Amino acid sequence: MSRSAIIVAGWMLLNLQVGTIRAADEYRTQVLPFLKAHCVKCHGSEKQDGDLSLTALKGDLATEKAIWTQVLERITSGEMPPKKEPRPPELSTKAVTEWLAAGLKLGGGSSPKHGNLVPHELLFGKPAGAVDPPAGRVWLLRPEAYFGLVRDVYRGRQEGLTQPFASSGERGFKDYSATSSVDEAATEILIRNAELIVARQTAYVLEDGKPKWANDTIGEFKPLFANEAPTKAQVETAFRTQFRLATARDPLDEELARLAALYEKNLKVADRPSAVRTTLTAILLRADSIFRVEHGSAAGKGQRLLAPKEIAQAISLALADQRESSLYLAATKGQLGTPDEVKSQVRRMLDDPKARNTRLMKFFREYFEYELATDVFKDRAKDLMHEPRVLVADTDRLVQDILNRDTNVLRELLTTTKTYANYAYDEKKKLAKPAQTKNAHNNKRQSPPEAAYGFESWPEVQPAETSPGQRAGILTQPSWLVAHSTNFDNDPVRRGKWIRERLLGGFIPDVPIGVAAQVPDDPHRTIRDRVGSVTRAVSCWKCHQRMDDLGLPFEQYDHYGRFRLSELVLDREATAKNVDKKGRLMGNVLHEAKLDTTGLISQSGEAKLDGPVQNPVEFAKKLAESERVRQVFVRHAFRFFLGRNEMPGDAKTLQDADQAYVKSGGSFKTLVASLLTSDSFLYRKP
Amino acid sequence: MTADRRTFMKGVSLGASATVLAPILTQLRAHAAGDAKATPKRVVFVIESNGLIPSHVQPTGLNRPKNGSDKLIDESLAKYELPEAIAALAPFKDRLTIIQGLSGRVSEGGTGGHSTNYGALGCFPGSKGAMAQTVDLALADALPSVVPHIGLGIHSRPETTVHYSLSAVGPSKPAPIHCRPELAYKALFGSVAGGDNRQGFDLKSNLLDYMADDVKRTRNALAGPEKEKLDNYLEAFESLRDRQVKIDGIKDSLRKHAPKSNKFSSPVETDRLEGQFDLAAAALIAGLTNVVTLTSGGGGQHYITFTGLGIPIDGHGIGHGGGHIGRTWADLRVIIRQFHAKLIARLAEKLKAAPEGSGSVLDNTLIVYLSDSGEGHHPNLKEWPVVLLGNLGGKLNAGGRFLEFPKYQAKGHRTIGNLYRSFLRAAGKPNDKFGMLDTGLRDLDMTGPLSELVVS
Repeated sequence: MSRSAIIVAGWMLLNLQVGTIRAADEYRTQVLPFLKAHCVKCHGSEKQDGDLSLTALKGDLATEKAIWTQVLERITSGEMPPKKEPRPPELSTKAVTEWLAAGLKLGGGSSPKHGNLVPHELLFGKPAGAVDPPAGRVWLLRPEAYFGLVRDVYRGRQEGLTQPFASSGERGFKDYSATSSVDEAATEILIRNAELIVARQTAYVLEDGKPKWANDTIGEFKPLFANEAPTKAQVETAFRTQFRLATARDPLDEELARLAALYEKNLKVADRPSAVRTTLTAILLRADSIFRVEHGSAAGKGQRLLAPKEIAQAISLALADQRESSLYLAATKGQLGTPDEVKSQVRRMLDDPKARNTRLMKFFREYFEYELATDVFKDRAKDLMHEPRVLVADTDRLVQDILNRDTNVLRELLTTTKTYANYAYDEKKKLAKPAQTKNAHNNKRQSPPEAAYGFESWPEVQPAETSPGQRAGILTQPSWLVAHSTNFDNDPVRRGKWIRERLLGGFIPDVPIGVAAQVPDDPHRTIRDRVGSVTRAVSCWKCHQRMDDLGLPFEQYDHYGRFRLSELVLDREATAKNVDKKGRLMGNVLHEAKLDTTGLISQSGEAKLDGPVQNPVEFAKKLAESERVRQVFVRHAFRFFLGRNEMPGDAKTLQDADQAYVKSGGSFKTLVASLLTSDSFLYRKP
Repeated sequence: MTADRRTFMKGVSLGASATVLAPILTQLRAHAAGDAKATPKRVVFVIESNGLIPSHVQPTGLNRPKNGSDKLIDESLAKYELPEAIAALAPFKDRLTIIQGLSGRVSEGGTGGHSTNYGALGCFPGSKGAMAQTVDLALADALPSVVPHIGLGIHSRPETTVHYSLSAVGPSKPAPIHCRPELAYKALFGSVAGGDNRQGFDLKSNLLDYMADDVKRTRNALAGPEKEKLDNYLEAFESLRDRQVKIDGIKDSLRKHAPKSNKFSSPVETDRLEGQFDLAAAALIAGLTNVVTLTSGGGGQHYITFTGLGIPIDGHGIGHGGGHIGRTWADLRVIIRQFHAKLIARLAEKLKAAPEGSGSVLDNTLIVYLSDSGEGHHPNLKEWPVVLLGNLGGKLNAGGRFLEFPKYQAKGHRTIGNLYRSFLRAAGKPNDKFGMLDTGLRDLDMTGPLSELVVS
């Protein structure tokens, strides 16, 4: 009996109120007692808190996935059982969550926000057995890869085309096979784009009754627009060419025949140029052009290696947004048929200093989410030019430096004391210069953007060393701080949530029903005080204890990312006394409130990591030393480069990648190479 | 089949395609005959972000009981003035129904405690994504047309073409909100937008036929969940192909009513929103659709910065108390609300000017104005103000009316779900199971429509 079958059987047993206990020993000894001891009292046949009765469910994990996912979410986050109830032993909680995570298959088929629901111990807890590869999949091109396709099809051009696909709107990594989908509205845009591309591929003007071709018209298409009728062979060549451009393979005879039929049908209602163009458009809309198909090569019952062209596409799109020509060539020559051949290609691409492996940087942008700084609207600061785009570019450059050195990458990212500050590089003059300088729009009191990093003047040598003890890594970069702030203030909750999820691998459920929390707008109190006054209420704290204390050390900075030693708050008394001769208020008076930058790491899953921290620099250094943090980082890299959540069957891939990273002295490229040549990446189940 | 294509298109009112066209032709005939019963009914949802604050729609001079009412208040609007935020709707006061005191707690838990996303129109938790069909799409089923439902709106990022988070065709099937008017115009009116469009139209039909067949072949070669992934792509081509046939059937009407606007691709967000309202009016009058969802930044907290109104702070900033040059957040919200009210009034005027039967298109329309964020920026959804304009051809007992329902958990309290069930009943497709029930109200009967709006 397969593992999931046992689980389903287990739930059926619960449904039958014990009774016929047959197999499923693990279930009987671990899960059922847990539910009886900790859940059924409030969610059973007699009482149904939250309208949930576990005994009322049919136990079918497929049809009842939503509710069981919630059960898992609540247990994983520590929200259930409620605090007033006795704590279940850690070991039995672990057993139950592992059972649910495996049975619900929360890896492959779900959204990024469910990634952490697979318990960490299940992936790193013990040496893993062989990889259990996922089923074959179909994966819509992400917007950037769609444009990559467009450039492949039309000589590197894409101007005037519209991005067709909607984002799922969820936080987290954007390109996930499970959440990608195409609908009618997107299809309409795809059609319009394809028409536009074909118009350009076949562009000409008539001069003296003869076509005068644009410079980059595709040669094979020309005979179809000449005055004399094209031969059958010419028509076929044209369609074959377009087919290769769209799908990187030759059409089958049957596919060519159907295209010829479409062309004939078009000729009956339209002139020849239009009939040709519509046929060429159809080729660009093929499902195997818009979707990545990952089937595996050979038929058969066992696991199978991806087909060479599938591998070429998968690796091309893992590292960049376009086809990598040498890979496709290798596929054509039959040189991508074994994992070893794949390995040498991946290493070649990663080691090539000229290769533009843009996805590596994209990972860090989506992982740290500092790129969201440009989405946070802030009032114009009186004393600072707040330029979020500059801040993001500075961090990009810092990350790129660390990636180029490719040594102890995660530790460097979390602890570097260097920074770029308002930096731009003039390619023509080969000269570094400030990205933004003051102009007539800025008032005299506004400092240029480098002030956000604590520099009084623009550092000529960059990356520059920040003041001692003030900064450590990305989490102290103004871009990250701004991205995780609100319009008016710091946001310790959002920062804590990020750390809990992205570095500690914890799970925080959505804001529950009934919460209308709002941080009070009391300018005379510190943010720590204001946030705490709301979130420390008993019902809120059960989730917020996992976030707030992780975010509060960053009170060390103001919400523009500037280091500070005190927090300015409204002095109500002084403001009331600040009146002119006629007794009219003259404006707010601020005073310095004492700054508290302490925080607490708790429930991290790594005993030596837990404990208080005094400030963000100490905090970041502590995180950088943690094995758990490193492994959670590896989990996120897996998600990004494989486009899905990790499942228990991927444990070996994750452990191998982690070890490859450690043994290489913290080389991110080695980590990526390990992932892209893993069985999880290369094999599919039928 | 190839040879038959022309015959097929020519014989569009007979034979095979008659089934697709039948409802529309019936409509058009009824339209011409002035048959009030058979005239199409239309519903427009206007959704804005940040919450519709109860005081902004409370008639002047009619004081609300503090902390909500204990009993139903049912008053004529005639005695009262409209508040400044929606004063622009005054010419339609006799068609207005202002409703206070409905709750919508089941929809909570959307984006960051702000928007309830799909929950607003679906009456299910906002955090659950497109969990079930939303009321606008349910109404589209009840009021079939060439294009069943059109979503139009503006987004915080002007380059966004479509956006999802408000409307759903069914579970996991979000319906798009088109965010760029110039593209929406091409999609809706492109076939008659001038030039030699007949040939283009026929070629498009050929292309869609071919693609539906081609995607089906690729799909059939796959197994299991992979297959489902291509279903949406296949359905898109099939649906577009059906639409071609239907659009062909009403091309004269389309040509006559195609909107003319130079604001479709304006860089200013207020212009684009105005463009979307114009498109909505034209699509309704031309008989292209019977259900439109218009949104001003609603869903997924894509707050708009209304530079066109001289406000440099986005909706989120205002929601958190941001002001601008002497104007408080409250002032700014009124200014934005006034703009929306003006657009609604303009839409109503256009529909009123379009004759239908013995009256106007407006007579057969219902405009529903609400926020995806209930009563405030961080709503608790114990109340959810709604303004209705029109009575759906007399199918709703609405117009010139103010209704305040008993407060949350008080006897006689009703929810937004009851309101939506009234719409579905009025549209001729009652579904008393629509939406989830609020467990906090389990002691009260929350089923059925709002009896106050039901036409006896």
